Amino acid sequence: MNTPIINIEHIARVYDMGGEKVHALRDVSLNIYPNEYIAIMGPSGSGKSTLMNILGCLDTPSSGIYNFKGLDVKQMDDNDLAEIRNREIGFVFQTFNLLPRATALKNVELPLVYSGISRSTRREMAITTLTEVGLGDRMLHKPNELSGGQRQRVAVARALVTKPSIILADEPTGNLDTKTGIEIMHLFQELWKRGNTIILVTHEEDIARHAHRIVRIRDGEVESDTTNSNPVYA
Amino acid sequence: MNIAESILLALDAVRAHKLRSILTLLSIAIGIFAIIGSGTAVTSLNNTISGQLNELGENNFYITKAPMIQTHDSWRKYRKRKPITYYQAKELQKKMTITDVVSMYNVTGGFTMKSGNYSTDPDVTLIGANEHYLVTANTNIEEGNPFTTEDVTMNRFIAIIGNDVAVKLFPGTNPIGQSIRIKNQQFTVTGLIKPKGSMMGQSQDNIVIIPIGSFMRYYADEWEQSVNIIVRPPAKDALSPSMDEAIGILRGIRNVKPWEENSFELQTNESLTQQFSAFTKYLDLFGLISGGIALLAAGVGIMNIMLVSVKERTREIGLRKAVGAKSNWILLQFVIEAITLCQLGGIIGIVLGFVGGWALSNSIGITASVPLLWVGVSVGSCTLLGIIFGGYPAWKAANLDPIDALRYE
Ligand SMILES: Nc1ncnc2c1ncn2[C@@H]1O[C@H](COP(=O)(O)OP(=O)(O)OP(=O)(O)O)[C@@H](O)[C@H]1O
Ligand SMILES: [Mg+2]
Repeated sequence: MNTPIINIEHIARVYDMGGEKVHALRDVSLNIYPNEYIAIMGPSGSGKSTLMNILGCLDTPSSGIYNFKGLDVKQMDDNDLAEIRNREIGFVFQTFNLLPRATALKNVELPLVYSGISRSTRREMAITTLTEVGLGDRMLHKPNELSGGQRQRVAVARALVTKPSIILADEPTGNLDTKTGIEIMHLFQELWKRGNTIILVTHEEDIARHAHRIVRIRDGEVESDTTNSNPVYA
Repeated sequence: MNIAESILLALDAVRAHKLRSILTLLSIAIGIFAIIGSGTAVTSLNNTISGQLNELGENNFYITKAPMIQTHDSWRKYRKRKPITYYQAKELQKKMTITDVVSMYNVTGGFTMKSGNYSTDPDVTLIGANEHYLVTANTNIEEGNPFTTEDVTMNRFIAIIGNDVAVKLFPGTNPIGQSIRIKNQQFTVTGLIKPKGSMMGQSQDNIVIIPIGSFMRYYADEWEQSVNIIVRPPAKDALSPSMDEAIGILRGIRNVKPWEENSFELQTNESLTQQFSAFTKYLDLFGLISGGIALLAAGVGIMNIMLVSVKERTREIGLRKAVGAKSNWILLQFVIEAITLCQLGGIIGIVLGFVGGWALSNSIGITASVPLLWVGVSVGSCTLLGIIFGGYPAWKAANLDPIDALRYE
């Protein structure tokens, strides 16, 4: 098989809560390869979000090894990490996290602002991406003028616009009804077909069944890591 | 990340918190207003004074008993000096070799002029002058003649009158050749002054000029017995030799011992302008201090607005970091926002300051001048204000942990 985008070995994340240590992650090792579609599952508090934050370079492990595309993340400073997040990673959040006063277009442009891309190119790229997620006719709407599903599409477009190596989605359907959730899953499936690498966190078996590999976490450790030989198509 | 975007974000923040922003902008505006307003007034005053002095003759120098601009303390010292008498002034004129133009004058206010049944208010300024006075006072004759040397030496009872007096005493008739009464003495009008209009709210045409000899004898104020002298050297390079010559002659006439200091004052346009700005500088200082205090209060307001803004936009900051904003960019964004806020208040203050300074200048009848230096100072202090008081909130924003910030409710 080809080389992994993400290689983590025995990573742990410990929060120090005034003397009391919280082991959010104890010992997790994973290899993630290009164009994989992975669902991370587990009970509440098991460490899923902590793991996603580390994978997304928003947080660094207390111990263990993290190589992103062969580069040791431990050696990077804050600016390097910001650059990795900007170029290589697209986040989709459960609560969308759109700028409330900005239009869909401006929201999607945001990561490009920090890539130093010119205004006109930025606009073009954002328009293309919004059209791809089916929001070509809603570009000048503000978040409060969009439905939940549409907001999450804007968020997906924002994650996609920089053409990242990997898309990280922490419970992307958690705030959506079942039908809208399935629509978002359809969108992810399309992205996967086009070659994107996707990692999503979910509580729902129905959602996880769309992925091709399911990693289950319990108490900060990998409980199981299985291939889903029969993924559902949305 | 570009600056235009940060400025737009700042304006957005102003719009979102109108009342709070307006209060803060107002206090910045007041501070800048104080600085610009006093700056405009002072610059206008200074320009007016030096402009007027130069109008009278760029190379003139002035000889008086005491300095024209005095502080409270110096007054005692100069009070004891003996007046420069008309006789001494005449001796000086006789002995000067570098220039002939030695103008003499003395002034008393509050006279009533009468002619026939007509009479003025008791507010006419009476000037005793010699034959050179009109030239050094930049005064022109519209009709009739200026004083001749003979008119002055013979103390003729003739008068040159200003337009205000002419209108009151001789309505509809030509004043030349008619007579006016000053106290109980008749004077024949031989000249009419070309109107000058008003200056600092006072008419310059409400005057009567008579030969200085008669003036000193009958009309000079008991407390102002000293003759004022204006010497006009022929050219700029004759200024300092003329001054030396005048000092030498006057020391001789007034019996000043070699080890004593001059018993009179010599001043040039330059030294007068300097003394005047030394005086107006206090006005500047006052504006600067009160402006500074207002700006300090405004700074605290700016810090408050920015801290609230950072707090309210915590999630936004987290998101920006998550999609790749470096800490320095966040810092810059918030500092630019703070500076934009300050400049916005500053612009309002500058405009108000101009209008205020202009209104003040206008009300005292001088031409308003734009104090460019103070505009620079204002823009500079607004920038500094933004950096100092926006710095801490911006630093807080830049150092937020992205995960905590994203999770912030
Ligand atoms: N900033 C923090 N400080 C202290 N403890 C934390 C912090 N973040 C997470 N934890 C703890 O780490 C553990 C794992 O949290 P995490 O958010 O990763 O769980 P999760 O699997 O995402 O749960 P959920 O499904 O509810 O989102 C929890 O016990 C949590 O209390
Ligand atoms: Mg979670």
